[in-house]
Amino acid sequence: MRLTRKQLVGGAAASVLAAGGIYRLVDELTEAPTRTASGSVRPEQHLLDGVRVVRDNGVEVLVPPLHHEVVTAKLRVGASPSELHDARQNLEAALTQLDERFAATPSGLGVTVAWGLPYFSEYVPAQAERYLPVDLRATAARGETVRVLEDAIRFPSDQDSTRLETNDLAVLLRSDSLDHIAEGAATLFDDHDALFRVTSIRKGFVGGASEGGPGLPKQMALAAGIQGAELIPDGAQLFLGFTSTQKAGLGPSKIANLETLGYADLGPSGYFAHGTHLHLSHLFEDLAAWYQVFDFQERLDTTFRPGLVASPETQTVAQGPKDVQDERHVRHDYERHRRIGHSGSVQPASRLARDVVGPDGTRYPKGTAVPQRADFNTLDNPFFWTSEPGRDAYAEAPSAGLHFVIFNPTSDDFRRTRLAMDGVLPGGRLTFETGSRGQGFNSVLSTTHRQNFLVPPRAHRSFPLAELSA
Amino acid sequence: MKRRIASVAIVVAIGAIAVVVGAAFGSWAWGADEESSSVATVEEVESPPVCARSQRVSWQKLANEIRAPVYCPSWLPSPLVGQFGGRFFNGRSVDPDRSYLVSFVWFERSLGIVNEVHVNLRGYPGTTRIPACEDTLTVAGKTVRTKIPCFSDKRGTKRIGGATVTVYTANQGADQWHVLYAWRRNGTLYTLSEHVAEPYGVEEVISHLDRMMRRLVLVPPSA
Repeated sequence: MRLTRKQLVGGAAASVLAAGGIYRLVDELTEAPTRTASGSVRPEQHLLDGVRVVRDNGVEVLVPPLHHEVVTAKLRVGASPSELHDARQNLEAALTQLDERFAATPSGLGVTVAWGLPYFSEYVPAQAERYLPVDLRATAARGETVRVLEDAIRFPSDQDSTRLETNDLAVLLRSDSLDHIAEGAATLFDDHDALFRVTSIRKGFVGGASEGGPGLPKQMALAAGIQGAELIPDGAQLFLGFTSTQKAGLGPSKIANLETLGYADLGPSGYFAHGTHLHLSHLFEDLAAWYQVFDFQERLDTTFRPGLVASPETQTVAQGPKDVQDERHVRHDYERHRRIGHSGSVQPASRLARDVVGPDGTRYPKGTAVPQRADFNTLDNPFFWTSEPGRDAYAEAPSAGLHFVIFNPTSDDFRRTRLAMDGVLPGGRLTFETGSRGQGFNSVLSTTHRQNFLVPPRAHRSFPLAELSA
Repeated sequence: MKRRIASVAIVVAIGAIAVVVGAAFGSWAWGADEESSSVATVEEVESPPVCARSQRVSWQKLANEIRAPVYCPSWLPSPLVGQFGGRFFNGRSVDPDRSYLVSFVWFERSLGIVNEVHVNLRGYPGTTRIPACEDTLTVAGKTVRTKIPCFSDKRGTKRIGGATVTVYTANQGADQWHVLYAWRRNGTLYTLSEHVAEPYGVEEVISHLDRMMRRLVLVPPSA
């Protein structure tokens, strides 16, 4: 017997926002991790307090919130200053209401509002021209002015059908409580229907196995009748069977802030200081191929690096600075094995090549991870709900996948990292045929949608730049 | 690499979620150190497995050729019939080392959905080692060949039909996409595998393999 989301996703966005659908099952299958409840209101929107750290296989692992949801939308409001002023007030009031109701922690509710290029170019083009930070590194590399927010691109391993989206905004909601997420989504979107036209709702989960047992991904995939679900290892954090939130594999605290690594010129006002960049994409995962065609060693090679030695039950692999591959290692693997590992291949781009001291005096040693991932498994196909089912190739049958959510300092920084995953390294490209098993994860993944967003600091999260004169 | 078969979801009420999960974990298992508890028909319980006369001749010839016992399947998953040369017969091969492969397959494409039932029986006389397969990867004009185990991702053992079988889920060559049972008898490795594809998922394939194991008939060489 298998489940579908049919009865839950047939209505309009308003009725779907609060619906948990198959994801209600998460609360039946696992208990929320023990957390500290309090959290401070940080200037950054994208940082959560109270994220617990556990040890697995001797490695420190962050325990992310169980439930995730992303809502994307286009704006219904006009672009006049008065309309934008009112819209800004309304949205900020709603966000403040949520701040007062919930701490920005997994046991409360993390709310991150991110804005796409269509918003900046259509609603505040003049202000954006002045205030959108310039990516100094990308500008130097390409010989033209490059902003920290660029349109998403299709990467070499993407299909031609990968849709590059044009949403005005995306809101990321994270919590151990589905009810908190539902309340957050309703507060922002149901109650402000005049401001937004919701274009998609994306839901999912991560983890749930830190206390033992088969783990959420396996149980959810089994319940949904996903091919290969039985082969997911018990206790796996994600469908693909390996832990991905090693503390050392994720960027520490403020490293993904626009201002931290000096990649961006924020201008004299520093309007976007404490902001960051968000890339949002959805990809399908072919679990049957992953578990039946790849054996454990090949999955290990593919996920991390060729030839990695680990016992067959291993799910968590150390990702500290001493475990990092540099470009020389990746090229050596390619020459010898015609393979690259996922983690290994991105590390030349995702880890610091030298020590960096941030503007607040924090020292980030060479080898430190820069991106902060907030990705989560999903059974959406490709979304929980979409305003345009035909365009998005929506289907009712559940499908294993990942809503990839990652914070990098700039669009270009994400681009460099993602290109490295395809073998496009700073020193030149490693050639792979499309879908090759040698190319890490790519042979079992297919990306359906992509978009980049700018995450303003909390102070400017609502209609950024709209309060400034054109 | 064989083609992946598309999944088809069956609609059920959301209220059945807890029941479904319970069933998914309770109805089968990879392996256990005890006799399989899969349900058999009354007829099977009462009558020992028999290799049909029409099939026994072919299995006997194979046993004689490799000079070692082979296993005749007295039951195969629907719609397969284990008749050599029949409509589901997919071939019989014997290598110079006397290892053999006998294969039965049913394949149908309907409304864009591929359905396949595919069973392989193998034997490796005189050796109990997992054979090595060659993993060939060609990238940018360069081919890298690596020796890897033909049967991998061990999922435990269980005792069925008088044999202790080891369950493997990541297999190569003709057994790719199959769940495979391997067991040893008198210095020979034997395997039985079934493709995981519509209309049968892993759970049903495991059930089939259990039943096939219970219904195998040993055919020794006559010479």
